[in-house]
Formats: sequence, C-alpha cells, structure tokens
Amino acid sequence: MLTIREFDTRAGERFADGEIPGFVHLYVGEEAVGVGACAALEEDDYITSTHRGHGHCIAKGLDPKLMMSEIYGKRDGYCNGKGGSMHIADVDSEMLGANGIVGAGPPLGTGAALSISQKGEDRIALSFLGDGAVAQGQVHEAVNLASTWDLPVVFLIENNQYGEGTAVSDQHNAKNLSDTAAAYDIPGINVDGMDITAVNEAVTEARKRARNGEGPTLIEAETYRFHGHFEGDQELYRDEEEVEDWRKRDPIDTFSERLIERDELSEEELGEMREDIEMEIEDAIEYAKNADDPTPDEAYEDMFSQRVPDIDLFVEQANARADGGTRGGEF
Amino acid sequence: MPDTSGIAANVVEDAPDDVSVKLLDMSLAGEAADTRRAAERFQAKADALVILGGDGTTRDAALGCDTLPLLSVSTGTNNVVPSAVDGTVAGAAAALVASGAVDDRETTYRHEMVKARTESGESVMGIAAVELSDRSFIGTRALLDPDEMLGGIVSRANPSAIGLSSVAGALDSLAPNEPGAIALRLVDEDASDQTVRAIVAPGMTTRVGVKEYHRLSDGESMVVEVDDGVLGADGERELEVTNETVEFHSVSDGPRLISYEAVFECAARAGVLKDGSECC
Repeated sequence: MLTIREFDTRAGERFADGEIPGFVHLYVGEEAVGVGACAALEEDDYITSTHRGHGHCIAKGLDPKLMMSEIYGKRDGYCNGKGGSMHIADVDSEMLGANGIVGAGPPLGTGAALSISQKGEDRIALSFLGDGAVAQGQVHEAVNLASTWDLPVVFLIENNQYGEGTAVSDQHNAKNLSDTAAAYDIPGINVDGMDITAVNEAVTEARKRARNGEGPTLIEAETYRFHGHFEGDQELYRDEEEVEDWRKRDPIDTFSERLIERDELSEEELGEMREDIEMEIEDAIEYAKNADDPTPDEAYEDMFSQRVPDIDLFVEQANARADGGTRGGEF
Repeated sequence: MPDTSGIAANVVEDAPDDVSVKLLDMSLAGEAADTRRAAERFQAKADALVILGGDGTTRDAALGCDTLPLLSVSTGTNNVVPSAVDGTVAGAAAALVASGAVDDRETTYRHEMVKARTESGESVMGIAAVELSDRSFIGTRALLDPDEMLGGIVSRANPSAIGLSSVAGALDSLAPNEPGAIALRLVDEDASDQTVRAIVAPGMTTRVGVKEYHRLSDGESMVVEVDDGVLGADGERELEVTNETVEFHSVSDGPRLISYEAVFECAARAGVLKDGSECC
C-alpha cells in the first residue's frame, strides 16, 4: 500500500509538472482493495485491471521502474512506451492489462477463467471493475457467462462512489452493487474497501469457491479515491468535507496504527519502509526520465504476431513521407 | 438499517388510506447505532415493535428499548432469537399486544442477554451469544470457521438453535428467560474427550470439541486470558482483543419479547377472536 501511495502521489506531481504525457488516474485512497485482493491470490492467478490500474499492477508484483517508464512513454516500459498509464500489461506476471475502456476487464477475466477451465489448471482469474462499469452491457455478459459455466473467476467492484463525476446513486437503483449478484445466482458480498483485512478475507473465500468449482463471486468493496477522477479534475461534484471524512479512514493509517498497536510493526520500521519506498520510486522516476524514447519506426512494431502485408505497405509509405517522398509512393 | 431493499417504503406506499403509516424521519450513519436510535424513538411512542432482521438487528433494537414488547421476525443471517413466523401472523400478534387485546404479562417474556468485558473497559453485548474466535481481525465480520472458535457465552441453549447456542444445547438446556447463562470453552475435536454435533452457522453442521462448560448464575462470570483474538456478538466479529483479560457474564432485564404462540393461545382462550368477547 505504501508503494502504491508513493508511486501514484509522485506520478501525479510529475504529471502536473508536464513530464508525463496523456492522462493519469490515481489510486490514492483505494490501496486496501488492490493489495487486499492480490494478497489473497496465488502468483499464477490472472488479474484484469481498469483505467485506474497502477495499484493493481504494483499489488500484482510489477516493477515500478518499468511501470514508470511506460507512463513516461519510454521504450523500457511494459508496453514499450506505447500504452501509457491506462494500458500497462504484463502477461508474464498474469496481469492482463489495465484498460481504457470502462468495463472491458470482466470479459477478459471470464475468458481467462474459461482457458483455465478448459486446460484444467489450478488457478483463477480476478477482474477489478469500477462502480460505473457495473452499468456496462459487457459486464453483464461476462458475469452471466461465468456464472452459467461456473468459471473460476472473481469480480471485484471497486465502488469509489463516483463514475467520473456521477455519484453511484445517480447511476444505479441498487443500493448495494453486490446485490446484483442475485440476478446471476452467485454470491454477492459487500465489504469495507478501506479495511485491507476485510477485502483479503472476502477474496480468499471467493478464491476458494472458484477453485472448488463453485463458480464466480461478486464482491463490492466500498472505497474512495482521494484525488479527482483524473489529475486536473476540478471535482465540482463533491465537497471537501466529504473528502476529509473519507481521508480520516485512510487505509494505510488505520492498518499501520493497528499493526503498531499489536506490536507487529514499530514506528521506526514504518519510517524505514517509507524512506526505502520513497527512494525506490525516486529511482523509478529517474530511470524513466533517462530511458530512451521509442523511435517513430517502432510505432509499427508489436502490433501483430505475424507480418501483415497491408501494415508493411503502410510503414513503407509512411517512411517515404518522412523522407520527403524519396522512398515509396503516394497513399 | 438502512432499509436497502425498500421494504418500509413499500409498506408506506401500499398502506390503505385509512391507516396512517410514516417512515421515521432520521438521519442514518450506516451503523448499528441507527437501529438503536430508531428503537429509542419507538420506545417513547409505540405499543409494540416488529423487527425484521436477525440476532444482530434484534440486539441493536433491544439496546434502545426498555419495556416495549418486541416481535422479531427471522429475516437475518443468524436467527436464534427471531421467530420463523408468517408475516401476517406476526403482524396480527403484534397488533393483539399493542391494542391491549391480550395481557402482555402472559404473552411476553424478558430475554436474558450476555456480555464480554475486557480489562481495559471495552465490551461486546449479545442477545443469544458472545463468541471468542482466534482470528485476529474483524474482516468481513461473519464467524466463518468453527475451528477458530475458542468459546464464549450463551443466553439460551437448545440443540435446534444455531451457532454457539446449538453447541451449548447439545450439552444442557437453558430457556431464553431463565436467569444466568452457559459459558463454554472449545478445543480441537481431536484433542477433546467431549465432542458434540452442532449447527454452528447457517449451512454448516460439524463436530465441535468441548473442553468445559459452566452454568453461570446472574453475577457469576467466566474469565479468559486472550493473547490474540476477536470477540463476536451473535455470530459476527465485533472487537479485536490482544493481551487482555476478558470476563463473560449474563445481563438480566433484557428486551421484552412477544411470544406469538402465547398471544394467539391467550386470545383464543379468552375468546378474543370471537366477535363481541372480552380480553383474557
């Protein structure tokens, strides 16, 4: 949780300074959900993420250096700098991608679970999705199919109370989004997303069900993003008092206080952890800043596993244009 | 509370014109205290209170009531105290009590409660049971694994109950209005001379190892040293406890519960259900 907090806080600062291209959607405040969930998974379990995916990536064990490089648009990034913040993916870590399309994760999660089922593997898939995604048609299709075929997948709704600038109550009549599970005849569980132990326990139980062939579980974790929808959001849809109320329930503060009270962590150890993580993220930023940009040629790489004649022709023509018309013809 | 499924709103909307039904005008914090505060307001005005919920909701309502007759209808997760009764029967029973058509001394009883108190002054109150689990956090609240149960105290014991009351009920019998409580210490079934079969949670029957159990009278208590555990009330984890001395005891003068069977027996015996008759 500390690494995610530091990573996203610094990414927000660097974005504000104009160093980072595109958009960043920060996970600050929601750390207990990603970490509680991924801590309940085995290493080879799949996850699918959302547009607010940095926290999921770190919780799944991705390298902050390569993540930061991706956000900076550098060649060393997880997607060679072509994806940016909303498209970090690392199939080798069973992280099937952050996703700029709201609600696009669950169909991938259901697909991954179908492959697990077909191959008879001993693992599961977990899809993170937001409260806004619950209103998307493809989410219904994904959950329904997973339920019908008893696939080993967990759907974890991060209800951060707003879909962009629209309050949950203005998007859904269901008081708890987990209540929608009844329509699929699967368990629906509502947990406190600011409490890492509650999220971890709910996902542990859901994973057990999935592995036992009992099908999917829909978990709703009630949480809050301390920053705006995106960096630069004026946040006209909520007042400061509400943000302050949620900040009092900061998942890092409450969990570290609990560990200290129980003598499982000392103030000194917590301080050392914070210092180490600050250095790690500073290193990641420096690494990303100094890494190479991809060349224009590379824009056409990593698109298809086999050569596609039309793409080859397109590249040839584009190169010709770049050369001032000395190579190739018109297109 | 809050009424997420809109049952109360539907009642108001569908009520006949000649019946005045209103929702309580109160702000909700989304916590157990909402139920208690609502019950306090009913205590001041109502003649009977019908509760839709399980043991937790019934307990929370009870904490806001003194002598107000309560009829709890089994609609929760853990339902030791609430009655599994048809809604029309429950409503009619509450109406017979509220209108004074039956004598509430014959048709209601005081339900004992149970409590655990730590040396540092924190406490947990249960209507059916207070449990001690060796899990070290509250998490999703439900007491999931019977193997983690270390013991606790029950206000009533019956083998047909659920949870710790079922375990106690396999060994002894205690009516809900009897003074005192039964305290238990549990152990792994393989390490115990005494095991019982019990329904420990909805959908879960298992064998439980009992290290010891004691019938406690009002004023007596069981004291347990806890290194790391969680105290639960009525099947839900409530309070994390580390390096504490915990005292379990009964609490008398609990809520006044309506026995719907007694209400109808009394009403029939007295001829209340015949036209033109007096109450019992």
